[in-house]
Amino acid sequence: MPAANSIDEPILTVKDLNISFVSKYRDDRQVIRNVGFEIRPGEFVGLLGESGSGKSTLGNAILNLLTPTARVTSGELLYRGRNLFTIPAEDLRILRWSEISTVFQSSMASLNPVMTVRAQMEDVFAAHRGASGAKREMTVEKSLDLVSIDHKYLDFYPHQLSGGMKQRVALAMSVLLSPDLIVFDEPTTGLDVVVQKSILSRLKTLQESMKFAVLFISHDLGTVMEMADRVMIMYAGEVVENSPAADALSGVAHPYTIGLLGSYADPRDAEINIRYIPGRPPSLDSVPVGCAFADRCGLATQECREPKIPTAEIDSPAGHRSIKCVLFGSETSDPLPAPTIFDEVGQQIDVHHAALGAGEVVCRVEDLNKTYSTRKGLKHTENHAVIGVGFELRKGSVTALVGQSGSGKTTIGRILTGVEKPSSGTVTVAGVDVGSLKRRTLRNYRSKVQLIFQDPFQALNPASSVGYAISRPLVNHRKLRGSEVREEVDRILGQVGLTPPSEYRDRLPHELSGGQRQRVVIARALAAQPEIIVADEPISMLDVSIRAEILQVLNELTRSNGIAMLYITHDLLSARLIADEILVLHEGKIVETGSTNQVLTQTRHDYTKLLLSSIPNPWQSRRNVPSIPAASSTSARA
Amino acid sequence: MTEVETLVPRETPPDRPAKTVKRRNGWQVVWSNGKARTGIVILALFVAVAVCAPVIAPFNPKDSTLPPGLQPGGAYLLGTTNLGQDIFSQLVYGAQVSLIVGLLAGVVVTLIALVIGLVAGLLQGVVDEILSFSINLALVVPALPLMVTIAAYSPVHGLSLIIFVIALTGWAWGARMKRAQVLLLRSQDFVTAARFSGDGLWRIVFRELVPNMVSLVVAGFMGAAIGAIGAEAGLSFLGLGDPSTVSWGSMSYWANSNGAMLTGQWAWLLAPGLALSLLITALTLINFGIDALSNPQLREE
Repeated sequence: MPAANSIDEPILTVKDLNISFVSKYRDDRQVIRNVGFEIRPGEFVGLLGESGSGKSTLGNAILNLLTPTARVTSGELLYRGRNLFTIPAEDLRILRWSEISTVFQSSMASLNPVMTVRAQMEDVFAAHRGASGAKREMTVEKSLDLVSIDHKYLDFYPHQLSGGMKQRVALAMSVLLSPDLIVFDEPTTGLDVVVQKSILSRLKTLQESMKFAVLFISHDLGTVMEMADRVMIMYAGEVVENSPAADALSGVAHPYTIGLLGSYADPRDAEINIRYIPGRPPSLDSVPVGCAFADRCGLATQECREPKIPTAEIDSPAGHRSIKCVLFGSETSDPLPAPTIFDEVGQQIDVHHAALGAGEVVCRVEDLNKTYSTRKGLKHTENHAVIGVGFELRKGSVTALVGQSGSGKTTIGRILTGVEKPSSGTVTVAGVDVGSLKRRTLRNYRSKVQLIFQDPFQALNPASSVGYAISRPLVNHRKLRGSEVREEVDRILGQVGLTPPSEYRDRLPHELSGGQRQRVVIARALAAQPEIIVADEPISMLDVSIRAEILQVLNELTRSNGIAMLYITHDLLSARLIADEILVLHEGKIVETGSTNQVLTQTRHDYTKLLLSSIPNPWQSRRNVPSIPAASSTSARA
Repeated sequence: MTEVETLVPRETPPDRPAKTVKRRNGWQVVWSNGKARTGIVILALFVAVAVCAPVIAPFNPKDSTLPPGLQPGGAYLLGTTNLGQDIFSQLVYGAQVSLIVGLLAGVVVTLIALVIGLVAGLLQGVVDEILSFSINLALVVPALPLMVTIAAYSPVHGLSLIIFVIALTGWAWGARMKRAQVLLLRSQDFVTAARFSGDGLWRIVFRELVPNMVSLVVAGFMGAAIGAIGAEAGLSFLGLGDPSTVSWGSMSYWANSNGAMLTGQWAWLLAPGLALSLLITALTLINFGIDALSNPQLREE
């Protein structure tokens, strides 16, 4: 593959691109800074970055779909030699879809709700009547075959399809005119892990048979690394690394790449070592001089603060690499840095575990059932969300409830917190059956049980300050008044690492980053001094590089405060990190249970195995591929 | 403004929130919208005219001792009525009535809509059913005939009646919008979180729900005020207002019934109509800015 690629002319060339967001009310924000790269025919390129790194802006620029506030200040975007920023609008219209197509992040929004699948797909042909004969060979039916969707769904409306099916339809639509380049912008965000896995493997097969090039934009390095030929890593509007995927995984790479990869591991390994990058990306309003990553980089030296950071151009057996980091020098002859120095990148996650069965039982769930019944006319359907579930929560230990969406895990969380009543069975906390609580007693109960939400952007009132949010449980549950409240708010903010408290107390949620908001949500749950915390996917909405950090905060606080935590997740790796015990839930039933190690290393149930295989593991898929000739490498690659 | 917001690149440690983005309050957002700014300036002019009416108006608007039926020009800027009143002075005093009606009826309508919307959205079940039914009922009953009927058969005539009639017929649309907003907000995580923090119903309503409905409430108020000003003018034009108050509506009524166009007193008919359209335009323009408040994508950046 690499050899074949190098003789082909690139189909897309981006030269020295700069894009700014202009506003009357503040200085222009430069969101894309001096970006240049090429995509060759049939190449699968991953574009990775945390939220706010500019990756979606770059994707939109390639489709020439920038919003009015974004301005291209300099640079060229050449598609087969034609500058997409300057060609006439009609030429661009013809080019779109027949040559460059796209799959958007949310197919719920990109499919027209009032048209059937067939009508929308035929619309594509109608808009491109001029498409060459060869391209007409593809039909609506064939394209659906490609994504394994039955033809009967052609006459369905989008709302009648599941999220995963809609995304498959969007994928089928993108290949209708056999384009040469498809841009994917976070195509599987919001989908279930298992569904995500199946769509991505389908995409990979399609790409290999139809030979189109892919630009795959994502925040999830692990997923992309499994599929991409080459990856580009963006940080604060710059492409800091552009390397063949195999090289990026080799352990010698830009410190940021190394840091991002630190978040991945195989949960089945005996020892797992997860590292995270402390801090967060700089605000694009004031990107520091020199290397933007220097502030978070453990390897930063004075050289990194110089205005001009050289880009190292390195030839490796797998292809060409560009790395913008002083460690790699600027000459081709400069030796690669030794892999061992990267051990300093990021911070090792430090989590503690409790022995199984240790600690006093604070909550006992016995034979829990929840049935939802819906009545449509005379038809009465019952949906068994939870069937015969039983477990215990112990003081100072974490129990993970693992399952994909629809497995009933959130329902169990809702019953435990008293939001819903069980159909049968009991949840006993401190001798009281939670299901029997009435309005007033429920309020008391909630001082003992707190909830940590999935989406930190929804869990905080946009109109109230951080200090107010944390003060409410103190006033209501702990009856603190006046200066006591203030002192306690400051103490709790310090506990979750938001220091100094005076910086954060009066902030509104929109002035905080996602990770900081989740810390506030955790702080609010802790403020009530609960006995039990139910955490419903608390890290799934966060950027990969800060997930480990939040897990560590959660782990530390439950252990040190002697709280029993029910950690609800679909992600076995995070469960491995934080939990002492794992319950695997499938279609409302617990199919496997045991200590974390036992469940992950001596997996018995097929469903657990399926979940395990859905975890992105960048190294795994390449382990068997002999394309990395480690021995022939000239560098000190171990 | 621009000087304050000029950004100075600072050495901010990466995990501290950067302080460079200045918080813009609601007023700044509305003012930054060009259309809204025009509207605010026009509205301010009207308010100034209404407040300073005794200074601006050359005559008492009810003084009917002037030479009647004069054409515009000369000492009487817009001419005089058939009864010998100065039209310009009437126009100036008419601004008072329109603004007072707009303000009061707007407040009353907004309050009714807010209370009914909140109660219907919060209390599900029978209460919601009843209130939703009343909202739908009020929406389908044609407002104009109802207004005319009530105004015509009422024993008292005056501004309070007009405000009462407008409030009675105008609350339903706002109530429905606010109910929908409450239903949306109450299922949000932060409301659940407040419940877990031990907050009671009243605190949840006034600290969690209402602050997030401010833009909707303000927009509802503007809409109600526009409707009220128009309705007052309409009722007065039909002769259903208080015949003794000088308002733009009653001016048009008298101009019309005295055949102002036939006698060449075009300003008598035209001036109140234009003033009315200008005021309503101003309020509508302000509404554009308020839209930007609730939907950041509409902001003119």
